[in-house]
Amino acid sequence: MGAPILEIRRLSNFFGSVCTARDLDLSFEEGVLTSIIGPNGAGKSTLINLLTGHLPVQTGRILFRGADVTDLPIHQRVRLGICRSFQIANVFPGLTVLENVLIPVLSAAGRTRRLFARVSAEAAARAEAAAVLERVGLSAARDLPASALSHGDKRLLEVGVALAARPSLLFLDEPTAGMNPVERARLLESIRSLSGDGRATIVLVEHDMDVVFSLSERVVVLHRGELLCDGAPDQVRGDARVREVYLGYEVEEAGPAAPRQAEVSR
Amino acid sequence: MGRKASLAAWLLVLAILVAIPFSTGKFATYLTIRVMLLGIFAIGYNLLLGQTGLLSFGHGAFYAAGAYGLGLFSLHVSSHPLLGIAAGVAAAALLALFIGFFCVRSNEVYFAMLTLAFGMMVFALVWNASDVTGGDDGLIGVVRAPVALGPVRLSIARDPQLYFLVLPLFGLCVWTAKRIRQSPFGLVLAGIRENPIRTQFGGIAVHRYRLAVFVLSASFAGLAGALEVLLESGARPFMAHWTHSAEPILVGLLGGLGTLTGPLVGSLFFIAMREIVQRFTENWMLGFGVILLVVIMGFRGGVVGTLAHWLATLRARGEA
Amino acid sequence: MQSIVHVCLAGLSSGMFIWLVASGLTLIFGVLGVLNFAHGSFYMLGAYFSFALVRALWPHFYLAMVLGTLGVCVLGYVVERFFLRAVYKLDLPYQLLLTFAFVLIFDNLVKLIWGAGALSAPSGLGPLEGSVSIVGRRFPVYSLFVIAVGPLVALALWAALERTWIGRIVRAASSDREMASALGVPVPALFTGVFVFGTWLGAIGGALAVPYVGLMTTGMGESIIIDAFIVAVIGGLGSLKGAFLGALVIGVLSAFGTRFFPTFDMFLTFILMAAVLLWRPRGLFGAAR
Repeated sequence: MGAPILEIRRLSNFFGSVCTARDLDLSFEEGVLTSIIGPNGAGKSTLINLLTGHLPVQTGRILFRGADVTDLPIHQRVRLGICRSFQIANVFPGLTVLENVLIPVLSAAGRTRRLFARVSAEAAARAEAAAVLERVGLSAARDLPASALSHGDKRLLEVGVALAARPSLLFLDEPTAGMNPVERARLLESIRSLSGDGRATIVLVEHDMDVVFSLSERVVVLHRGELLCDGAPDQVRGDARVREVYLGYEVEEAGPAAPRQAEVSR
Repeated sequence: MGRKASLAAWLLVLAILVAIPFSTGKFATYLTIRVMLLGIFAIGYNLLLGQTGLLSFGHGAFYAAGAYGLGLFSLHVSSHPLLGIAAGVAAAALLALFIGFFCVRSNEVYFAMLTLAFGMMVFALVWNASDVTGGDDGLIGVVRAPVALGPVRLSIARDPQLYFLVLPLFGLCVWTAKRIRQSPFGLVLAGIRENPIRTQFGGIAVHRYRLAVFVLSASFAGLAGALEVLLESGARPFMAHWTHSAEPILVGLLGGLGTLTGPLVGSLFFIAMREIVQRFTENWMLGFGVILLVVIMGFRGGVVGTLAHWLATLRARGEA
Repeated sequence: MQSIVHVCLAGLSSGMFIWLVASGLTLIFGVLGVLNFAHGSFYMLGAYFSFALVRALWPHFYLAMVLGTLGVCVLGYVVERFFLRAVYKLDLPYQLLLTFAFVLIFDNLVKLIWGAGALSAPSGLGPLEGSVSIVGRRFPVYSLFVIAVGPLVALALWAALERTWIGRIVRAASSDREMASALGVPVPALFTGVFVFGTWLGAIGGALAVPYVGLMTTGMGESIIIDAFIVAVIGGLGSLKGAFLGALVIGVLSAFGTRFFPTFDMFLTFILMAAVLLWRPRGLFGAAR
């Protein structure tokens, strides 16, 4: 439980003159559920895009299990085990829920080059896909077209599709955004058990402080592309700089409701 | 449709197709061959457009490659039809590998422009290289040599005989397209159509699959082109022109893009309509444009899609 | 040397026609997000409409051109307002295919009305008649006029987009449709306006091209749209700057090709296009869209 699964060295990124990452040095430990938080514009989504290959790296290096993956294309990073879900549900609308999840499963199983096999006969892949749906609680919807799902279910499917690619490092970009409390609780339970399983290291980008502080073992705070604070949840919550920039001064007294208040007023 | 009903339908269609040369006249037989050729072109193209969502405006170039491939092979190397067909298909596939390499890395809009431009380049090449290709007059003098399989020599000199060379190839194409659509590869193609970025994040090298289906669809086009040369005893530069490239698009749309049988139904309608309209006016292309407009504005599911939708609505009403 | 200068000038002038079509194409793509296949047809219609009027309005040559191009704008309005607008919400292939359907319709309507053969242009260019001596050889005044018109249009477009309030609105709507609409910009009307304006640019190109080439055929739309596409690919779709430079480069390259490598001149442009694509898949000035 000690070796860094991902190391970021001196990562910088500029969109014109706007800096979204400034000389970032960060590592992620295997098996430690980490949350990345920060005000809007802090560079959280950009960081995920850089790490997963969605955005090309300008300067810096990214090492996955010691190997340099900085210039690898997206699909190769996924095959190594670096997967992500999107902030806006990014699924296959015209395909059924099961098919949505089958694609990454078949890819991970190396069965996508078959032109004459039948998808309906791919028993192992279908079973694996069904298991993923079970995990995120969408088994009942398996034959529905993804476009017919409710918003919350689409977000669940979003996580499911990311999960189906057999990640060892899974980035979840605001997975609970827009979910109702029931859906959120279900998802959080899935995330907790996933992390507990030990098969995937989970990194969460979140705005919801409940989620962050109840679930994470480690919290990383970004501000304007720089690392502001990094440590255990209580440590971060108590850090003066973090409160000044992000959480607001009322958080200690008022409890869970206030962080969202402070968040909105920002 | 249930499994058994579907099988019965296919067998019925097969029976009709087999019966046509025996029970109808020369012209009907000729027209049916043309429907099958257009069907091969369209069903391959539909793997690219309907399944993968890539709109190519230059597939006529591959049809021409298949045609001139067989034609030149037949005139200069060997007139054996099966070898010629193989040569044509290979020529189309190789050309597609080359053109596809430049095109598949681009997004949808650039892809459409590039395929159009490359297609017209092939047209210009064929037109200009008149020493080799016969230029505007096309390639003439391609004979229908008998198909020699060991000791057996099957003549294809008459249209009804050529018919029975085309029919099994047509059947093979339909079967291949069906299997591809139902395969893991086909599912990935659908994923690329629905959401290319998500497919990449599923671990798929999207460019490679796009190139693969591009070459595959071009091979179908090449086969159709080669067979047309045998039918018409010649190849023409028009095969590479963008107005010819538009045919499988219209046919697919007309019949139903997302379906297997759509391109086939569309081909039937297309050829039938063309025959009828051409009796009244030379300006068939105008009608073509209007039909395309109507389909896009109101009937995007095409014949098969719209029918399936009505059936489903009827069934739902029946159950309600 | 003399040949080279003249070939360059010829290339510049033929490039300007491509620029006029490409400018409209780029504007329409940049703002509406639609690749208008029918733009070559508007070019052709600009030619045919103008010259149908020339006979009627003789000797007001340039008035005929102005009215003719306005006539094409009416067609452009109909296409956008009643057809294209309805398919914006659909997938890209349907939008492309719709404009493609109009290519077939317009090209064949023209064939029906005016016949499929080539029509020769009426003569009488007024003050632009005749030729001047450049490095010892005569060069048509009209061609010089065309070389001047191109950059003028480019400058006017740039000024309109960057310096006027309507230009700002157009740029805003093209970068964020929903936001502009939320701020009260009448986006559908704006789109129609831009489409019609783009149509007008293409039509002017066609009207101007006739005295230059000497005749009109329905094929003129088909060949110019391919040139415009190549220019858009090289310059980057959505970039007016790219379209202008691309048109100049293609014009001059084609002229050299026609003069020195007659059979295979088309291939120079294709080789250039392939080379640009390998180096910059989105064109020289293209932005990700």
